[in-house]
Amino acid sequence: MSALLSARGLTRHFGGINAVEAVDLDLAPGIITALVGPNGAGKTTLFNLITGHLAADAGVVELFGQRITGHAPHRIARMGLARSFQDLRLFARMSVRDNVLAATEPVSWFWQPGGARAARERAARGAQALERTGLAPLARAEAADLAYAERKFLSLARILASGARIWLLDEPASGLDPASRARFTTLLRAAVADGVTICLIEHNLDIVIELADRIVFLDQGRKLAEGPPESILGDPRLAAIYFGERA
Amino acid sequence: MTAYLLNLAQLAAIFGLLSVSLNILIGYGGIFSVAHAVFFGLGAYAGAHVALDLFPDLLLAALASAVIAGVLSAALALPALRVRGEYFVIASLGLQMLATTVFTEAQAITGGLGGLVGIPPPTLFGFTLAGPLVFLFCCLAFLALALALVRQLMRGSFGRALMALRDSETAAEALGKNVALIKTLAVVLGTAFAGIAGALFAFQEEFVNVESFTLDQSVLILAMVIIGGAGTLSGPLIGTLLLLLLPAALTFIPFIPPTDIGAVQQLIYGLAMTLLMIFRPAGLAGRAMGRR
Repeated sequence: MSALLSARGLTRHFGGINAVEAVDLDLAPGIITALVGPNGAGKTTLFNLITGHLAADAGVVELFGQRITGHAPHRIARMGLARSFQDLRLFARMSVRDNVLAATEPVSWFWQPGGARAARERAARGAQALERTGLAPLARAEAADLAYAERKFLSLARILASGARIWLLDEPASGLDPASRARFTTLLRAAVADGVTICLIEHNLDIVIELADRIVFLDQGRKLAEGPPESILGDPRLAAIYFGERA
Repeated sequence: MTAYLLNLAQLAAIFGLLSVSLNILIGYGGIFSVAHAVFFGLGAYAGAHVALDLFPDLLLAALASAVIAGVLSAALALPALRVRGEYFVIASLGLQMLATTVFTEAQAITGGLGGLVGIPPPTLFGFTLAGPLVFLFCCLAFLALALALVRQLMRGSFGRALMALRDSETAAEALGKNVALIKTLAVVLGTAFAGIAGALFAFQEEFVNVESFTLDQSVLILAMVIIGGAGTLSGPLIGTLLLLLLPAALTFIPFIPPTDIGAVQQLIYGLAMTLLMIFRPAGLAGRAMGRR
């Protein structure tokens, strides 16, 4: 099946540093792809290039068959590509409910189209996202007042409420306790069952093994390998690079 | 005495409108501008010219002032809003300094330092708004309109989008928000209300000159919003009342010589702002410390 998102030759240099060098990435529909690699491998930079938060020096990105290279981040997001951030970037002084509602409202104008009926539908979508992430009892709390795990789930609830078909998740499970981690994996599996395509950056290899259908291994801005988890994680050369045991 | 109190109440309503309008930018949008007096001034000059050259109709003057302040702010804001945070503060400071010079030098339009004098009393639908009490009600009506609009907008999708980009521009963009458009709309809305406040000020004072639209005035409006509580509906009004009534109240204290009132006022302002920022940084109407 053809990829929903396809990047070809993505390149970005910061001065003399090759943050991302000629990377190809294909996200096939309905699976979870994990981006794995040591710190500084270029994983987050790759996300930033795909979502338009950073301009690429070279390369092309296609989303649902349409070229999106050079598009503003909000235009790319509206096409159905959502992302999370390592540092979450919640709307800290807004309520949990408003964080999620903001994700359901596509138009940046004084009002949204569709009248009361569309507003009810958006509210229902937001409420469903809060239910699925377990945040419904905290809907009126201010985002800044949430515990760490709940903040993580709020960043996922926003993406869920946005209705995006492709999710790029940057270390979404880091720092989660075992119970929250189980909630997290259940949530991601349910999203994939609903037809969502996910690409996640994750350092916890247990989670990668548990969730990923495919792994892309990056190091020093280059893609070194790509394949099913067992072949990538079973490669002693890649393991040595990942754990910092370079020759 | 009654005339003095009515005059004070009119000023409180006009400055209340100004601080409510700046709160749209600062409190809800996180757009820190120290040039709000520029748009207050543009509105005042526009209102004065409508009254002097056309008809002194309050609604016509308010409309013209809102349009001129709003349109010019959009033209100025579009390039300036590309920069973030402290860089925008500096850009707005530059605009304030530039505008003060233009207001002083463009004598054909602003009357220079001498200003525009002899602004006639306002009319509404052909009837003269005689008496300070009637004009006070007009000022309060504009203030109520601004408050109702801000309350409605900030509870809806536009308010959520504006506050979202205040808290994280990149996350707002990643959720499909057109940050430049939302910021521009907020600036146009806020400065249009500042323009209306300017028109009311021109009628209230019957005279306008550059001295009312300097950096000092911008800082005073900013202080009203921050001391009262940025991002709250009532905060700017509380800040306005406090900062307008304090100097008035000091004049009634018998043991302070009239010549020292200015110095005492500065001491109280400085102390109050320092203590407030330490113990209640979200302002008087904002969240108390320790809850977070």
